[in-house]
Amino acid sequence: MIGILLAKFKMFLRNPWTFLLFTGMSIGFALIIGGSGLTTISVPVYSEDAAIQQSFISKKLEESEAFTFNWVTENELKEEISAGRAEMGVILLEDDYRFIIGVDSPNRSMLEQTVRAAYTEKLQQENNLAAADAATDAEKEKVLENLQDTMKSPVFEINRSSFRSSDAIIYDDTFHRLFGFTLFFVIYTIAYNVLPILVEKKDGLWDRIILSPVKKWEMYVANLVYSFFEGYLQVLIIFLIFRYWVGVDFHGRFLETLLVLIPYVFSIVALSIFITALVKNAQAFNAIIPIISVSMAMIGGAYWPIEIVESEFLLALSKINPLTYGMEVLNGIAVYGYPLEQVLFPISILLLMGVVLMGVGIHLMERRHV
Amino acid sequence: MLELVDLSKKFKQMDAVKNLNMFIEKGEIIGLLGPNGAGKSTAISMLSSLIEPTKGDVRFQNKSMIKHPAPLRKVIGVVPQEIALYEDLTAEENMRFFGRIYRLRGTQLKKKIDEVLEQIGLTDRRKDIVKTFSGGMKRRLNIGVAMLHDPEIIIMDEPTVGIDPQSRNYILETVKRLNKEKQMTVLYTSHYMEEVEFLCDRIYIMDKGNLIASGTKDEIKRILSAEKTISIQAERWNDEFIEELKQNPTVNRVTVGEKEITVIIPKEVNMFSAIIRMAENADMELHSVDVQTPTLEDVFLHLTGRALRD
Repeated sequence: MIGILLAKFKMFLRNPWTFLLFTGMSIGFALIIGGSGLTTISVPVYSEDAAIQQSFISKKLEESEAFTFNWVTENELKEEISAGRAEMGVILLEDDYRFIIGVDSPNRSMLEQTVRAAYTEKLQQENNLAAADAATDAEKEKVLENLQDTMKSPVFEINRSSFRSSDAIIYDDTFHRLFGFTLFFVIYTIAYNVLPILVEKKDGLWDRIILSPVKKWEMYVANLVYSFFEGYLQVLIIFLIFRYWVGVDFHGRFLETLLVLIPYVFSIVALSIFITALVKNAQAFNAIIPIISVSMAMIGGAYWPIEIVESEFLLALSKINPLTYGMEVLNGIAVYGYPLEQVLFPISILLLMGVVLMGVGIHLMERRHV
Repeated sequence: MLELVDLSKKFKQMDAVKNLNMFIEKGEIIGLLGPNGAGKSTAISMLSSLIEPTKGDVRFQNKSMIKHPAPLRKVIGVVPQEIALYEDLTAEENMRFFGRIYRLRGTQLKKKIDEVLEQIGLTDRRKDIVKTFSGGMKRRLNIGVAMLHDPEIIIMDEPTVGIDPQSRNYILETVKRLNKEKQMTVLYTSHYMEEVEFLCDRIYIMDKGNLIASGTKDEIKRILSAEKTISIQAERWNDEFIEELKQNPTVNRVTVGEKEITVIIPKEVNMFSAIIRMAENADMELHSVDVQTPTLEDVFLHLTGRALRD
């Protein structure tokens, strides 16, 4: 078994390009398409009152990291929404705001929070100025400067926490893209590591090993351990890069996040074995893997949140998709902050899927003399 | 030493091997001859315990190996028809891998690798990655890794398929030398008649899953001892000429090839002048008329009505 593992590692070091390609693609897609603080959502904004464009509200909106507010005319705003170029737009009034919603996505509530925060701050500032009896512009400026200086060393701080309903959906674009693309691309890495079992069997390499004192279970274990290792190494590298280079903090749950990836990687190794047992040759395998992985990503919530899927049929399909549970576990730990016990159910399903698919896959392979 | 008794294998409705009986004695080179699809590879897969027969037995030193093949596996080395090597590893790394799975370690493994690389003539290419090798070199290494654990019996399934004549000769010489120097028993399958004629002490001929002849080269050729072969070559064939040959009562068999007609006739008959006359009558220009002693190819032709590489 050690001999097989050593040979596999040697071949990996000699030819790591597929691994690096999929690792690079996961990171690239998560960085470019995902949030990661590097991209923002464009929101058209309009106001009848031209002064608002230069006002405190406008400045606060410009500070937003998640959204880019573009000033447009009323007609342009409506056109952008109706043409689907923007999900939603904002009409700013002096003391109020209106939204025009094109797509009801999780970004809507985030935008609402951002705009509301700007108006709340404006109101607070006006109250402060009124309390300070600042009449002239110079007085107002002085009051605001003093206030800012004071805020740098406040007398006391308030830590607050909020409660939310268990049905509430939290959407974090950075985590969603990172988890989605990582779980999606690792399917390829693992599948292309399981494929050599099929090729080696066809080429007579397995027959050679079967005739040696090495046991058949050792051959399977060595191959599967190696596929697991390479898949896990990929997700580990991606998460380490996002943690220490991009600066995603995983809400302090980094180690747990790495831990809960294990059942997912295991289930994908098992799924790959199962597919390998079903196909006739490497060409069929190469054709089927992209179809399966993309379908899994679409109905498993890797590309978009599963919560926005309404079709009962697709939702039913997602229940037999390891990627759904992989996303559920990762979101549960890193986004919702659940304790480990609360994600035991999806972890158990992943482990069960792994055991069943691996058992059936190996049995089929042996029966069909693949 | 090793015996196949009524060995049969059925895949769905197809009989790949039917009641094959065969024995191999220590130190022999046995040829298993037959065209593609004759059942040779299935037979050796059953013999080497890789697939279970539908019926029959494989006996090694008088013990059945069907359910407990371990003693047989210990003493055989199999050279598959495919290049069963890790092409991303070097020749030496492949050797080390296959040596390790046979529990060879340390200096013993190193010594064995050096020895085998020398035997197959790849010592100077030991550090090169296999996928950079020529077809012939890969075939030699394919044989080499089967010899690392010093097998008593080496089973070679068409080890010279798809390689140049020079590499082919090298392999044949190597097999012969191993047999002579190490008393290694060899079971060699091929559809190249000349390889089997060159190497083997005894020959088994298979066709469509059946064993159709067996014995030493001379014994097999004696099947045709009462006959002789006339090989006729011409620029083009004339139907009238072929028909006249077939109708001739002294002719036992006529086989028409692309550039050659083979005629099998009784040994005592002289047909030379008759063939010339038939060609003149049919207005056909002959290139040569050659009377030959029977070859294994002729025997196969005689037994099956087909050439080996049809």
